[in-house]
Amino acid sequence: MLLSVRDLRMYYKTKMGYVKAVDGISFDLDQGESLGIVGESGCGKTSISMTILRLLPDNAEFKGGSVLFDMGNGPVDLVNLPESEMRKYRWRGISMIFQAAMNSLNPVYKVGDQIIEAIQNHFPDMPLDKARQKVAELFTLVGLDPSRMDQYPHQYSGGMKQRAVIAMALACDPKIIIADEPTTALDVIVQDRILKEIRKIQRKLNMAMIYISHDIAVIAEVSDKIAVMYAGKFVELADAVTIFKQPMHPYTYGLMHAFPSTVGEKTELVTIPGEPPNLLNPPKGCRFAPRCPKADSVCSEVEPEYRELEKNHFVACHHPVQPKEVVRFYAE
Amino acid sequence: MLKFLGKRVLQIVVLLFIYVTVVYWLIEAMPGSFVDQYLLNPKLTPEIRENLKRQFGFDKPAHIRYLIYMKNFLTLDLGISFSYFPTRVTTIIAERLPRTVFLFVTSTLVSYVLGYNLGKRAAWKRSGLLDKTTTFVGIVFWTIFLPLLAIFNIWLFGVILKILPLNQFIDPNLWKSAPLSAQTIFIRLLLTALVFLIVFLIALLISNRLKTIPAKKTVLYTSSITTIVVSIVIWILSGYSTYAWDIIKHMVLPVLTLTLYSFAGSMLVMRDTMLDVIREDYITTAKAKGLPDNVVRDKHAARNALLPLVTNFVISLGFTVGGGIITETMFSWPGIGRAYLEALNTQDTPLLIGLLVFTGIFVLIAHLVADVLYAVLDPRIRY
Amino acid sequence: MTEMVVAEPLWKIRLKLWIRSLRTGWELFKEKKLALFGLGVIIFFAIFGLLYPLYPVVMKNLFWKHDSFGYQTFMPYDPIVGFDPDIMSHPSPPSLRHPLGTDPLGRDILAMIMYSTPREFVLGITAALITVIIGTIIGASAAYYGGVIDTFFMRLADIVMLFPSLALLMVLSAFMELTLFRLALIMGILAGFGSITLVLKAQALTVKVRPFIDAAKSTGASDAYIIFKHIIPNILPLSFLYMMFNVTGAIFTEAVLSFLGLANIRMSWGVIIQMAESSGYLMGASIGMYWWLWLPAGVCITLLCSSFYFLGRGLEEIVNPRLRKR
Ligand SMILES: Nc1ncnc2c1ncn2[C@@H]1O[C@H](COP(=O)(O)OP(=O)(O)OP(=O)(O)O)[C@@H](O)[C@H]1O
Ligand code: SF4
Ligand SMILES: [Mg+2]
Repeated sequence: MLLSVRDLRMYYKTKMGYVKAVDGISFDLDQGESLGIVGESGCGKTSISMTILRLLPDNAEFKGGSVLFDMGNGPVDLVNLPESEMRKYRWRGISMIFQAAMNSLNPVYKVGDQIIEAIQNHFPDMPLDKARQKVAELFTLVGLDPSRMDQYPHQYSGGMKQRAVIAMALACDPKIIIADEPTTALDVIVQDRILKEIRKIQRKLNMAMIYISHDIAVIAEVSDKIAVMYAGKFVELADAVTIFKQPMHPYTYGLMHAFPSTVGEKTELVTIPGEPPNLLNPPKGCRFAPRCPKADSVCSEVEPEYRELEKNHFVACHHPVQPKEVVRFYAE
Repeated sequence: MLKFLGKRVLQIVVLLFIYVTVVYWLIEAMPGSFVDQYLLNPKLTPEIRENLKRQFGFDKPAHIRYLIYMKNFLTLDLGISFSYFPTRVTTIIAERLPRTVFLFVTSTLVSYVLGYNLGKRAAWKRSGLLDKTTTFVGIVFWTIFLPLLAIFNIWLFGVILKILPLNQFIDPNLWKSAPLSAQTIFIRLLLTALVFLIVFLIALLISNRLKTIPAKKTVLYTSSITTIVVSIVIWILSGYSTYAWDIIKHMVLPVLTLTLYSFAGSMLVMRDTMLDVIREDYITTAKAKGLPDNVVRDKHAARNALLPLVTNFVISLGFTVGGGIITETMFSWPGIGRAYLEALNTQDTPLLIGLLVFTGIFVLIAHLVADVLYAVLDPRIRY
Repeated sequence: MTEMVVAEPLWKIRLKLWIRSLRTGWELFKEKKLALFGLGVIIFFAIFGLLYPLYPVVMKNLFWKHDSFGYQTFMPYDPIVGFDPDIMSHPSPPSLRHPLGTDPLGRDILAMIMYSTPREFVLGITAALITVIIGTIIGASAAYYGGVIDTFFMRLADIVMLFPSLALLMVLSAFMELTLFRLALIMGILAGFGSITLVLKAQALTVKVRPFIDAAKSTGASDAYIIFKHIIPNILPLSFLYMMFNVTGAIFTEAVLSFLGLANIRMSWGVIIQMAESSGYLMGASIGMYWWLWLPAGVCITLLCSSFYFLGRGLEEIVNPRLRKR
């Protein structure tokens, strides 16, 4: 297994108490596989990736769990590595396309130089001209004119910056790329094209990928496996087809029906009423209970266990949605 | 770029003319004048009195004198000083300017280097020990009553430790039999410093192209140390080293005082900007690339915080000029600031106007330098 | 009776809101230790200055009971014409009768310092208030009107910034007697047209584009109404903050001018040090020996200046979102 995350917990300490942004996350990722994480804004998606890469702000507190990462010489637990060791895994092992890709480029350095910097940081012996050649190849790969590598970020359009950031993420041939909302800032057409290209490159280079988005359509397009996240926890994880064909968690079900085009025969657009819970004081029991039509007294008391209900299909729910069952979300 | 600079220069010239006019009429309107005092001397015969008046130009009405002044100003002639009659104002300025410029440039450079380094470190570990102490100490020095700081330094280094001279520019006893004037030696010292600065800048440019940090450091350190050693050897061989050393010793305390007084200005700006920059996404990206902490801090964060530092430099110039007047007074340092106070006390209007005008030119040139620096520092700024 | 539902008049609700925002502000402020320190020092000086009338009374009851001269008159503790005849030579070092010693004229240093304290406050706060009022109005108008008004005031600020303020005040001292109030006025005005307008204008520009300005315009509100009712209240926190820094600047400048003998102020901390300087006890051979003549006054200037600055920094961390911790 390339990456194996177990019971990962990370809370932000604030004046009001702990924000439980990552609260017991587990998943596996294999070579060449792509996992999509979907969830509402603020549910903790970015926090997961930041915890894995250990790029947390000062007020974040790691609360346990493990991140076993295997670069080919046996699994290493990233959470225990000293900082200097950890640095070697960043970008070389796991690289990232950040949510705000537009701002991921330092405005005062040439784009090419920023990519070369990453390469030379991990391959200090690579001569400059070889590094430049590599950047030129990457540029061609993502569809940028290599002559643009000596320009500054402000000379790029939004879509070009996006491509440059993707090229940068590929620079050190990482085993895994985490793409956090890689296309939100772009218009739909460009978005689509870039997503397709990322997917193509990923298949070509046989990399593993983690896509993060609040938009299940985007996730659907690019992922083999999908994890549905709600209030700091995964509520369901299965391969993409299963998630769409037979969602078992009411929240996933709700999401599917808010997205009519893939469901096919039934095209009733429902959004889930209510607000996601405050991560400061999440409700006891199931965190979805206040919004769940199937909730009962058990749900609001006992936290549902995250179980493998069917093979490779993980669900955290006391009353999973059965095949053919219709769940109605009523607007208030 | 050239077009912008041309426009800027034009603006600056206009600003300068307004400034000179304001200064001229301000000083002109000062009640009483040196000439009046001088002419009231009962020993003067009426003819001499008239003669003197004509010489100083006081036989003409004020607005004519203003026009004459402006005409002369265009040819960089600032008139003749009253109290140093018949020395030209430009001569006095030329004599004193290097001393002040040196004091100013050195202390500004040191305090910006200090402020930059402390500020970036303080922000990087916000609320840490360094942040707290530098902020506290910095603000105390920033708001300290400058004469108090001067006295304290004189007292500590001159009286208690006895390692540095108390004040003045040179030690008169030593210079009685000197083969060259103090000014000559001082200018040569300045030239040495300039050579050092140039070598340092070239080394900086070269090291910027180098890849590894040890290589950068080697280039920077060897070139700096070599220049210092070579210039010391040349000075010793020239036989003037004792005199040069005397001047240097006299310079330490004023520079130290002015530096301590002003470093917090740049430090606080640097710290605040850094706090802003640190939140930018490209900093997280740089960390995610696996770059070492200090590379992220220096190459990515601090570099982006430089621009406001330049702005701060321009804004705080007036402040530094004030600090310079006080420092020069406290240390009897014969520079522009002291001359200003003297001219004020003796009502030497031409000198007073000349000094004010000169300060204005100086500040405006600094503005221009800052404009160029902006473009160098930020690729987004292209005029 | 339906009106009873809205029991509270509007001003009461406003007051309550205001108090609440003050309270949250205080919660934030409490954490800024340096600002708290600054506030503490300022309060200390305020009390210290207000206690001045008590000082001679206490002293004479302690030490002058049997001395009719000192007991009946307050002479030995008068900050301006005082003199202690019982001491052989002045300046005398600190003693029980004169906790901070006497100056060359035989005056009690502590009395001089205490007497000056309220004056420093008045000077600093008056100057800063004037600066901030001018700066706020100009900044808001320049941002609101733009165009010629904006250009004019911005170029004016350029020219004002070109003049080193200390040098300019030195020249002005030759024109007129720089009494405390005049000095405060001049410093306030000079600073008010300077760099503060740039900062406040930048802030006002961010307010100008907010929707409620357009809303106010569409209801036909006059320009002045919009500037004073909508723009200025929104830049007031920043103005207030700059006021703290300007207090520092004003007190410092007064001290320097007095020290150089260019101001015409009867008594101030700067004057005390000038006295030491002009009588040759500050520098020269005896440097450091007569420390009580200048050190306490110098420390007072520094302390008060820095405490206002600390306070300003603390407020800045609350007002300025850039500096706020996440
Ligand atoms: N430094 C922090 N301190 C306190 N709370 C934080 C911090 N960073 C994030 N949070 C909170 O943690 C929760 C998870 O944040 P995160 O950025 O991981 O969400 P997200 O799922 O990526 O959302 P989005 O889709 O908007 O990017 C949010 O509720 C957020 O308010
Ligand atoms: S556990 Fe209960 S409340 Fe939670 S999702 Fe399942 S049914 Fe709904
Ligand atoms: Mg996110």
